[in-house]
This record gives sequence, C-alpha cells and structure tokens, in this order.
Amino acid sequence: MRSPASVAYLVDPRFPGGTSSAVAFELRECTKLGHVSVHAIESQMFSARTVAPQLAETLSALGLELIWDSRTISADVVILHNPTFLKFQATLESRILARHLIVVAHENFLRPGAAESFDVNRCLNQIDRASLALRKTIAPISKVNRKTVLDWLKGNNLRGNWAVLESDWFNICAFPMIAPNTTPADRRGRHSRPGFEKFPNLADMDLCFPAHAEANVILGADHYLADRLRRPHWSMHPFQSFEVPAFFGMIDFMVYFTAPTWRESFGRVLAEAIAAGKVVISDPQTAATFDGGVVAGTPAQVDEIISGFIADPKSYHMHVAAAQAKLSPFSAQAFRAHLSRILTQAIGATA
Amino acid sequence: MILIDAGERNDHTFDSVLVFASQLAAQGYSVGIDERTLPDTLDRHQKYEVAPYLVDVTGIAVTRFLLIGAETISEQTLRMLRSYDFTSVTPVSAIGRFTDHQALVSAQSKIAYVLGREPDVVDLRKLQKKPLLPSAISPLVAGKAAGVRPADHTPPQLFVFLPTEMLEDTQSLSLLGSLDNVRGYRLNLVLAGKGKEQIKDSRFAHLSAFAATEFSPSTFAKMADIAVFFGEDVPGERMAAFALEMLQADKVVIDCTRSEAFVACGAPVLRGPDELGSLANYLVDTVITNVEEISHFVANSRWLDGYRLAGLEHALGLAPQREPLAQAAPARTIFLPTNGVGLGHAQRCALIASAMPRPGDYVFAAFPSCFPLIEGKGFSCLPLVQKSPYHPEVYANDLINYLRLQRAVRTGDRLIFDGGYVFDSIYRVVFEKQLSAIWIRRGLWQASQSNAVTLDREKAFEKVIVPNEAFDELNSEHGYGHKIYHIGPVVQESATDADDGLKLRDRLKAHLGHPFDQLAVTMLGSGVAADRSAQMQTLTNIYERRKNCLHLILIWPGAIVPTGVFGWKNTRVVQTMNALELCKAADLVVTAVGYNSFHEILYHQIPAILVPQMAAFMDDQDRRARAASERGLAETVLATEMLLLEREVMAFLDSGKAGRIRANLAAHVLPPRGNHLAATLIDGGGRA
Repeated sequence: MRSPASVAYLVDPRFPGGTSSAVAFELRECTKLGHVSVHAIESQMFSARTVAPQLAETLSALGLELIWDSRTISADVVILHNPTFLKFQATLESRILARHLIVVAHENFLRPGAAESFDVNRCLNQIDRASLALRKTIAPISKVNRKTVLDWLKGNNLRGNWAVLESDWFNICAFPMIAPNTTPADRRGRHSRPGFEKFPNLADMDLCFPAHAEANVILGADHYLADRLRRPHWSMHPFQSFEVPAFFGMIDFMVYFTAPTWRESFGRVLAEAIAAGKVVISDPQTAATFDGGVVAGTPAQVDEIISGFIADPKSYHMHVAAAQAKLSPFSAQAFRAHLSRILTQAIGATA
Repeated sequence: MILIDAGERNDHTFDSVLVFASQLAAQGYSVGIDERTLPDTLDRHQKYEVAPYLVDVTGIAVTRFLLIGAETISEQTLRMLRSYDFTSVTPVSAIGRFTDHQALVSAQSKIAYVLGREPDVVDLRKLQKKPLLPSAISPLVAGKAAGVRPADHTPPQLFVFLPTEMLEDTQSLSLLGSLDNVRGYRLNLVLAGKGKEQIKDSRFAHLSAFAATEFSPSTFAKMADIAVFFGEDVPGERMAAFALEMLQADKVVIDCTRSEAFVACGAPVLRGPDELGSLANYLVDTVITNVEEISHFVANSRWLDGYRLAGLEHALGLAPQREPLAQAAPARTIFLPTNGVGLGHAQRCALIASAMPRPGDYVFAAFPSCFPLIEGKGFSCLPLVQKSPYHPEVYANDLINYLRLQRAVRTGDRLIFDGGYVFDSIYRVVFEKQLSAIWIRRGLWQASQSNAVTLDREKAFEKVIVPNEAFDELNSEHGYGHKIYHIGPVVQESATDADDGLKLRDRLKAHLGHPFDQLAVTMLGSGVAADRSAQMQTLTNIYERRKNCLHLILIWPGAIVPTGVFGWKNTRVVQTMNALELCKAADLVVTAVGYNSFHEILYHQIPAILVPQMAAFMDDQDRRARAASERGLAETVLATEMLLLEREVMAFLDSGKAGRIRANLAAHVLPPRGNHLAATLIDGGGRA
C-alpha cells in the first residue's frame, strides 16, 4: 500500500483576513488525506510576527507545529497560499522541492479594467527561482479569479513553465446553515474590512442604503467615521467592533458592492451571509461565483430587488434556501475530493 | 485649476507641494492647494508663499489633480481624494519616484480604489535616470521660460548657498566679508536655518542675505545669474529646484559641495572649490570671464532633458501654458504709500506723482485712510487692507495686500514705495515680479531705532530716494550707499498769497457765523502715535477765554477726536484735506512735527508752536522741532509743558512773537524743494 502523500503548506500566517481563514479550513481537511507540515514565511509584507488567530487556533487543534523560515521545504505537494506576500521583497530565501508546487492565487491578478493588482511577475519569479518541481501550477480560486489569471498570462511573459490548475481551488464554506427570517424587513447592511477598495463611491452607497430603509448597518465603516460622514440613517460601526453573527442578526439583506476598480476574488463574506440566511445582493461579476446564490444587480436596482422580496416573503425564503444549496460545491467534502485528486496525481507522477 | 497634493501629510511634503506649485505657477498654470491640507504650523515665508495657491475646493473647477510623492500615500490623503468626488473627465495623475514596479502598482491601486477609475501614473525614475535628489517629493522639473535673465543684472548677481555649519566657523564671516568686496559681481547669500539672523546679528549685517525659504526657487532663479552651492550634498529640495531653474535658463551653477553632488549625477554644472577662501579668484578668473561659453555648455546638456517641465507635461498630457507670461502691455508705475500714523507718505507720493511728466499714467495702491487725499489729487487707487487688532495675526492684512498686489502688478512694472518699513507684501512682489522698485525713505530716524531689519530690505530696490530735512544737522546717512539719492525736501506748493488768506478768513466767518480777529489752528495728530487730548483741551480752553478768536482743530478722515473739544463756542473741529491753506491764513498754528507739517510751516512761513510726538516707530520729531526753534523759526513746547504752552500762545498772539517768527522765516534761506528731482529720478534720470 502506498503511503499517504506529504503535503507542505507555505504561507505567511499573518494575513489577517480571508487567506488565513481559507488555509485554516483547508488544513482540517488536508490532514485527513496526507502528512501535513506548515511552513511560515516571515515576508516583508507584515511587520510583527503575529499569527492570524483563526490559523493559530486550527494549528493548535490539529497539533501542527508552525515552522518558521525553513531553509528547505520538501514534500510531494507544496501548496503556497497567496503569493502576494512576496510583492515587497526581491527573493524568497526558502528552497522548495516538490513533485507538484501549487500556488493558490487568492488575489485577482488583474483588477477590473485590466490594471495589474500586484507585481505578479515579481512574486511568481521568486517562487520559480527558489523551487525545483516536476509541475508548477497556479490555482485560481473562482471563475472570476481564473479569468484574471488567464488574462494576465496572455499579456505577460512569465518564466518557468507554469500551468494553470484545471479546477478552481475554492474557499471551503463550511458555515452552519441558518434558516432565513420568516418575516423579512427592509433591514440592510454590509460587512467588510474598512479598505477603500471594499466600498463603492458615496452616491452608490446612498442608493444601497437609503433613508427609507428600516435599518442600514455598516460594519467596517472606519473611514466614514474618520471623515465624520453625516448619514443619520446609517448605523456605522468600526471593523470588528462586534461579532459577525450579531451583525447578521441586525439585517435581512446583505448589500455588497465594492469600488468598481476592485473585485472580490472569491467573496467569502458573501458565502457567510448566505449561510446566515440572508439575501445577498452584489454586482454581476462578484455574484457569478455563487451561480445564482447571490442576486446580481446595480446599486440603482437594490431598492427594487429588496421591495420585491419584502412583498413576497416566500420568494425570500426560496431564494435563501436555493442560495444555501449553491454553497455545496464549496463544502469541506468537495474540497477533500478536489485535494485527493491532486495528491493522487502527484504521487502517481514519475520523478 | 490644477489641484496639487502630496501622498503623505507632513511639513516636508507640504513644502514640496509648495515648491512644485510655485514652479507650475511660474509657467503660467493656474494652480491650487486645498486649504485643508495645510500643516498645523507654517513659518511666515511659507504663509506668504502658499497664500496665492490656497483654495477652498467647494465651487472650484478642478481641471486636473496632481498627487506628488505618490510612492507613499496616506489614508488621510486618500480620504480627501475620495471626498473630491471628481467627475469622470477630471484627470488624476500620480507622480512619484517608485523604487520598483510593485510600488507603482500599489500607488495606482490605492488611488483607483478611492477614485473608482484608474489614475495616470508618472514614474520620475524613468524621466530622470540619474536623479539629482532621489529622496525628493517634488518632481524637480523646471521650465525653460521660468528664469529668463533680465538684461540689467550688471554686474551679475551671485547667489551663494551656505549650510548652517559653515557659518559656525568663525572665519567664514570674514571670508564672506572679503568676498563681498570683490568687484565683478554682487554677492547674495542664501542661508539655511537661522543663518540669516546670524549674519544680521553680526558685524557683517550689510551682507545681502536671504533665508533659503524666503522665496520660491523660481524667484531665486530670476534674481540670480550665478548660483554656488556649498555643503556636504545637494542641500534639499528647494535648493535643488533653484539649481534646476538656473540650469534650465542656461545660467551658471557651481558645485562646491564636498561630495561633488551635482557633478556626480551628471548635471551641467561647474566644479568649484569647496572652501570659501578660494571662491573669489575662481569666480573672477574662471567663471565670469567665460559666462557665455558656460551658458552654451549648459544649454546643450542632455542631462537636463529629464528635468524639463516639457517632459513632465508630455507624460501628463498637459498643454503647455507659457503664453500668459508674454507681456504685451506697457510697464506701469504704481505708487504705494504706507499708512503710517497720518497721511504724510500719501501726501509725499501724491506731490511727486503730480510732478511726474504724465501724471495720468500713474496709479496708487493705498490704505483707505489715504483714499480721499489721493483721489482728490486725481489718481486712481487700488485699496489695501489696514491692520486691525481683530485679525488673527499681526500681518494678516499684509497677506491680503500681497495677494492684491500680486494680481495687480505685472512683471516689469515700476513700484514706488514710500514708508519706513518695507512690508513683506512689497518686498516679495518686487522680487517675484521683477519690478523696477524705488523706495522713498525719509530720514531722521531715532537714535534708538533698530535699522537692521529695515535696511535689509533695501536690496529689493534699485534706488532709495531720501527727501532731506531742511536743516543739515538733521540729515544723516542710512543704508549701504550705492543706491541712495538725496533730494531737497518734498513740500507741497501753494499759489495763494496773503490776500487769498484774508478772503479765506472772510469765508470762514460767513460759513461758521463766527466773526473773529484772530485765527488759531491746531494739528496735533490722529491720536494713533500719542494721546494729545489734554493739549487740545488746554488750547480749547485758552482760546475760549479770548475775544474775537476762532480756533480750528484740523483732523483727517479716521482720526480720533477727543470728545472734550466739542461744545466750545470758539472752537470748531474741521475734517479737511486742505490744511495748508487754513494754516497759511492762520495767526498761529500749534502742530505736531511730522515731516510734511514741519516743512509746510517752514516753506510757507507760518508762525507755529511745535509739539513733538515721539513713538518708537516714528521719526525724531523732537530733534526736528528744536532745529527750527533754535534758529528762531518756530517755538518748541513739549507735550508735558502745559503752562509754557499757554504762555507761548499769548506771546505769539499778544506780544508780536508770531510776527517776529514770520519775519525770521521770510529771511531764512531754505534748500530748494526736491519734488521735481524725485520725479526725474523715478523717471530714470538723476544722479546719486
């Protein structure tokens, strides 16, 4: 009987948001399939050596040790998550030896309008120069993300025989499914980090969160608060000022638009809202990842969409149920199947 | 309007914004800086420098937004950029020296997020392959037209930058003193930190010295023909910009830095000695004799291509704006009398302007109190703002005046300033607009008066015209000699004679319904320099007890009149612009001893009691009064001598003293008036 594949994770464990959450969920599944080691790179992207809490918690629960700045990282499969941590440095000091080196994209390579999101060449070249692998692939995490990767590759001359993984390396959405509110009201909200990229312009925000709504809850409104923005009909709160479940308790509709010059590569926050039993509204490109689970529209259409659901609570319940079903391709089980295929392929390859 | 901001908010980046704004403005661009980006503290020079560009963006049509120093962008800057809510057609450009592609991508992304669209990004490292100052926030570009050399810098103006540490060397000041005495150039120092104050506090206060932040680099480049830089390295952004402005105008720049900083990066500069002691010979023997050849060498430099405004304009897609600099209109002459404590300066300017060949061609810029006098003489007037205790700082009015003057005058105009202290507004505008400036500066300064600050600004003027006092012992030399022109007293002329005086007295009797035999006039000031209410009250009382007497208290608009002088039957308070005719018709005048009143008393032979007004900022009226009374041409009574005042009034009116004084005045030979010579000097003639 063939022994299980060895899998080495290579991350900068200090990413505060989605990357660390995704890795944490993934580790729980991966440890069921192979021998897992987790290597931490102290990149120049962050200053303090503080491991993201969700990752630290998972590592502890799994009894995994975080190995900092290994000289050599060797495994059947090495999975490097989110290469953007290399964007502020010139070299990756660790050496990577693998049958299959997978770089999970996380970030879109291009922003809407085709501007580069980060210095992709610099990051991938560092990985290429530091690695010896039979196969090197870039793993997009969604359809949207895949398109930016492919478009970037078309327009740039990347060294090192990289391929793009055929299937998407999605985020595991293993959230508890909560039933929708039986009597939905016009209670709207949005939740995100406070970054400028996460917010549309103020005119669109006003369309999304009008005075006539019963509630407009903005969690992550740090910049508006700093600007002392006057919107008496908005309930503005700093990022992480209260728990996300409490936020979901205040709303029935998650209205989520971003700056038109930026786009979610997966949209974990939207999946979380769907699982919490909310109707989620976003732009068509961001909504595409969820295959109808997110209502696509424009800020100008938000009022009409919401009033339609309120007028017909049954449609609200049906939409939420359907949207929650659409999350099944992102389940832990689906991820295990996906990873199993990858590992099997890797071990089967001849050196 | 092009709105400019910097990626980060601090004193350094704000100064960089200021440097860049002034460079663009010098090229004819309309430039604005959002007033909300002002640092908490600004020095005085910065306040003047930034004032023309400060805008409240509400209601301003922003045609373009330029963000310099975009390699680091703070959240504060991004929030403000987001707040502008620019239309989709307003170009937004980020300019920076990006260390790598990621730095550029980061800057572009950050702006794109708040803007909702992509900005243009200009990487100065691509334009400037060998950077003069890699840490500079300002783009450090200069326009070809900015520093065109005025034709009349003969001998050439030498500007030497010295870092603070060089002044700490005790020998440096002596060496600078020697350097100042070499013929062939005119030395000016540009000094960092407190260097200028150090020079002015030394025995070398006569050296022409500027603080490095005193003027914009563009202005320094207009003033200079040769620039020399000492120190370890390129001395900061302002001086780097100054050097570039010089080079873009094909002028001479000499690198005396220890690290050969300018030479090392390929700039078309001369390598000079790094010690002050060797500079004079180098300048005289090597530089000044070869200026034309050096200029040719500079003009052919390819290195400068990366530092031309045209390159940045091309990268930004900016349309060059050089046409507005062309001056089609003929140069104008603007008289600017200071407000002082009375109308003396305005009166003197009006007298000189009236003596000019084409009085209709001259305009005034003056304070409101002077308007009736100036307009009464037939001149039009640009209003300036008076100082007020309600302003947030003592020179707030002067900042407004600076803006008004900046907009009103054009390069090459002629400015005639009459006053004791040269306001920052005037000083700056003269240099910035390259005005042909003349200072009318009466003498008789008080012995205790500090001259250093006043005389420091003499360098802004081509000529200093000093209207002399009537008596030689009152004339003394102030200033540094080579541009001082002494002229006879500037005194109002009057064609009226004794008969006209009698007719005026008759008109007064009829107009006031008050018959009188004796007419007394009092002119004791406006109450600004000194409180003379007790003296006026005393005189009012004296004249009230006299039969057939009319006492006129003459005031000018805005003067403070003590309430105690109203309600007396023999006294009237008269606001008039024609004091001279009333004085000529009077039997006795009691007056303060300002320049104009005093000389009108003398030249029009008016019997007078002189009551000097002394204040720290005024001329020495005491000496002036005693010079006349010692000659028997008037009587001096100090403000405290009330009993003597009464005795003298009786002596003048009852004992024939007025007649004797009038006779003495008639017999005394006074120097010829200087009105016409002043006009000739202003018009380009005359001799020192």
